[in-house]
Amino acid sequence: MRTRAPSMELASLKRRLPFAELLLCVLCLWAAWYRTPAGALVRSIGAWIFGTRSSARPLLAYFGAGTLVPPRPPPILTGPIPPAQVLAYGAGAVLEVSPAEVAPRLRELSQRLGSDDAALLATFCGEDAARYAVDQARSSALDDLARALPPHSEACVGQAAQAAMLAGAYALGWPLPESVRITSPFGVREHPMLGGNRLHTGVDLAVPLGTPVRAVGAGIVRRASSDGINGRIVILDHGRGVVTTYCHNDALLVHDGQRVEKGQIVARSGKSGRTTGPHLHYQIDLAGDPVDPLRFRAQHPKTASGATD
Amino acid sequence: MRWNVEERVRRIRWVFLPIGLCALVAVGAHAAADVVGDRVLWLVDRVDAFFDWIWSAWSFTAPLVDVVGLTQRTWFARAVALVWELLADALIAVPLLGYTEREPKEEWNASREILRRVRSPLRLVRPAATLLVAVAGAYSIARAVQGSVQLTLHVFWIAWLARAVTLIGLLVLLSPRAVFRSLEHGPGARYRIPAAVVLLPLMLAAALSLR
Repeated sequence: MRTRAPSMELASLKRRLPFAELLLCVLCLWAAWYRTPAGALVRSIGAWIFGTRSSARPLLAYFGAGTLVPPRPPPILTGPIPPAQVLAYGAGAVLEVSPAEVAPRLRELSQRLGSDDAALLATFCGEDAARYAVDQARSSALDDLARALPPHSEACVGQAAQAAMLAGAYALGWPLPESVRITSPFGVREHPMLGGNRLHTGVDLAVPLGTPVRAVGAGIVRRASSDGINGRIVILDHGRGVVTTYCHNDALLVHDGQRVEKGQIVARSGKSGRTTGPHLHYQIDLAGDPVDPLRFRAQHPKTASGATD
Repeated sequence: MRWNVEERVRRIRWVFLPIGLCALVAVGAHAAADVVGDRVLWLVDRVDAFFDWIWSAWSFTAPLVDVVGLTQRTWFARAVALVWELLADALIAVPLLGYTEREPKEEWNASREILRRVRSPLRLVRPAATLLVAVAGAYSIARAVQGSVQLTLHVFWIAWLARAVTLIGLLVLLSPRAVFRSLEHGPGARYRIPAAVVLLPLMLAAALSLR
């Protein structure tokens, strides 16, 4: 039997190299097209030129492995949520089904896959995808799980992230006793000091000076600083894109980077910064967008007349 | 007449190779920028808090506090990461579109000659960043290929093999070309100090993305 000389083998391999290069370049282009803001920019420009609809997300939504997509406002709550049900409420709000419909499956998935984030990923992207992500990812955090999935999973990852965010927000407590009245709710209002209609990005809660302000959930202090507008301010990052803010305090009891537990006193309320009187400005942001904190509470504190800032 | 596919693919290499190199580095730059997104937010928070403290000291500058207010800070941090990534793309990915292929031996000799002539380490920042970012890009693309194959065929070893072949292919066939083109372009490129400011943190982020 005759064997081909090594030089012939090499020549044959060299001839086929352009195919391999073409395939690799196509893979690079595929990944850049779906995974990078630069690819999204090219897709959007292409769609604009050809008058078609682009499937590219907003450029800033490509960070956090595509998990930073603000959710639509959830439905109004009709009753208190048991802590074990927050995941089902988050998933139910995104799927637009009753939480009771998804709760048993989520519980089962959570036990099987070892984390709530993996259970949410399985609900929206399929169990195979979630199982694969759990095997590949460094941690069970949703953004790490999402990084393990291929680029075309971006839509279901976005939905899972929205459900996780809503679940995170439903799990939050309240920074002050329930009896404290709201003096200025969330929404567009006439600014009591500056005039003109502006969005009030949180709720103002009227409290005497020195009232303990508690962390509404476990998290990390992202900022503990002071300025002439927000006063002494604490920003807590609860993970999953959920951030809470506490403004106009008299004293801060935590420092940057500190880990806090739910219910821990983080500040004493006050009237620092640009205010009309002592109160706490409490704000929830989901993926950087402010949402009405009362959306996540079944019992709403009473609203007092007049507006504060 | 024989329809020679190999020859036709070879003839269009001048089109797909530069685009592929550019895409490889763009994927790497995004993988790097994404992995340090939280750090960017942390940095923006510190800088924002500092400037809020300064601006609010005088009534006429106080309105500036609201320019990057509580609501805009996350948006602003992501915008900083995006601008950083796009600047990196402009500095190291876009020049790769000018790649013209030579024989590997010729590329190697030319690279050695360029390196021999380089006097300032600043001139090597772009090639070094291209190398690290291309490796990060290769890793990220190989991972995406593995995920796609696994979720389509559900056969672990084929997915793993696809990942290994993609990674090796990208590291052997494309990454050296990207570095060569960067070596060819980088030492003579302008704005060396601003480029180093953009690219040195990106190199660190690219290394972190490989974890």
